[in-house]
Amino acid sequence: MSAAGEVASPLQPGRHFWRVFLIGGLISYRALFYWITPWQYIPTMLAAPTFQILFFVYLGRAAGVGSTAFFVVGNCIQICSMSGIYGMTMAISNERFFQTLSPILATPSDRLAVFLGRGLPVLISGFQTCCFGFLVSALILGFRPAPQELPQLLLAVLVTSASCTGFGMALGSVGLRVRDVFLIANIAYFAVLLVCGVEVPLHQLPLPLRALAQVLPLTHGIAAGRLLAAGRGGSAPMLDILLEGLVGVCWGTAAYLLFRYFERSGRRSGAFDRL
Amino acid sequence: MSGPGLREALSWPRVVAWGWFYQLKMQAQSGFMLMTAVVQPLIFASIAMADQQAGNHGLPILYYALGAGIMGIWSTVVFGCGGALSWQRHQGTLEPLVMVPAPFVLVLMGITLGTATVGLYSMAATLLWAALVFRAHVQMADPYLFSLGAVLTVVSLGLLGMVMASSFVLYRNANAISNMIEYPVWLVTGLLVPLSLLPGWSHPLAYALAPTWGVEALRSAAFGGQPLPAIGWCLLASVFYLGLGVWLVGVVERRARKAATLNFQ
Repeated sequence: MSAAGEVASPLQPGRHFWRVFLIGGLISYRALFYWITPWQYIPTMLAAPTFQILFFVYLGRAAGVGSTAFFVVGNCIQICSMSGIYGMTMAISNERFFQTLSPILATPSDRLAVFLGRGLPVLISGFQTCCFGFLVSALILGFRPAPQELPQLLLAVLVTSASCTGFGMALGSVGLRVRDVFLIANIAYFAVLLVCGVEVPLHQLPLPLRALAQVLPLTHGIAAGRLLAAGRGGSAPMLDILLEGLVGVCWGTAAYLLFRYFERSGRRSGAFDRL
Repeated sequence: MSGPGLREALSWPRVVAWGWFYQLKMQAQSGFMLMTAVVQPLIFASIAMADQQAGNHGLPILYYALGAGIMGIWSTVVFGCGGALSWQRHQGTLEPLVMVPAPFVLVLMGITLGTATVGLYSMAATLLWAALVFRAHVQMADPYLFSLGAVLTVVSLGLLGMVMASSFVLYRNANAISNMIEYPVWLVTGLLVPLSLLPGWSHPLAYALAPTWGVEALRSAAFGGQPLPAIGWCLLASVFYLGLGVWLVGVVERRARKAATLNFQ
């Protein structure tokens, strides 16, 4: 930033941009993520996903559909959306809830840095939840992915965590306007279980749901994860990872545009923090 | 019992009934509770039914519809009980509730029974969903015992919710427990997965939990089995939860007063 009040261009990120991105993002995560204390984090972000994995593995066995690996990979990757969807919704919408949105938007800080900085801790949290899920599945359910594909599997998990974060950013931005965004976040979290091929093979779903799945996060990442876990590396899973990344970028872009739109309309109406 | 004591005891059903009624009214207008009682069970029912159709068709669709319905009741109890007390604590109304002359356990009972009753939406929704979307043949072999089983299931889950709620009064991170205990109870009580597929060590846990007997009673009544033993176990579980709840609420109420954890100040 060259002068007081002048906003740094995101195309020429200076120290200010990175400081807001990294330190601001970390502070906002610590302030706004409900489940950050061990008393909240362990039951909600580690124990509940573990039980989710077990529940669906046993449901699959009862119904005689898919293998244990099908449900383990689907659920282990899907649980990153807990951080992505709920975490990002909290990281953006809670500013409004706690009445701190106006002061933040009154600062000259780069909006892109403010916005993206909130996503990084959430992305890391989602990634580690996924890894924990795979670890627990290996210990309890005897899940063994193909060792040679592990680096690519981790890449698929990372990209899916990022795309879920983008999706969560969009929901969080909607929360700048909608009164009860957590209701939408809850529905989104459970809907992806059905729509994105997490628990039900995609070809079993009706055509409209299959079409919807293509533009939602998780679908391509899980498809890639299943191929890689089965030892079927190569171009097919890489294409899926690329598609997952593309979906994430699209959701992230839509989220940023929504954020700026609501900022501008909030300035006009003078109603950033109206609940 | 003396005159004033008897009059007070006679007013207890009224306290529970009005608490139940107001809780039902409030929860029925909460978007979150309707999501928990209707949308979420429908999603889980759809997943189970779609997996059944993709798999071995070993169990009928109605089996999953009934299980998903009780999953919804359990979710409303888990989040409703914790949520109701947390909300009152946030609002500063928990202290007055504890301080009023009526025993707090009765106030809490009205809240938990009202919350569990909202869960009946989920039963209706999953049965309707099974019939309309998955073309299931939804016909009860014994509709009277089915209705009795449904009412007793709600009562026993509500009383189990009271037992849990007593810990929610003390524990400030109660919502984390709610987040954690939803799936394990769904799993071990055989709501969607037959108990025979679960490890033997989990069975005693299942027998201690009312949803196991509730779903067994409803399935027996629906499919033409013998629902009375399961209904009896459900009743017995309700009596046990009531006794345990009354004792626990007394203990935690005293501790909360002493430790001053009834509000966030």
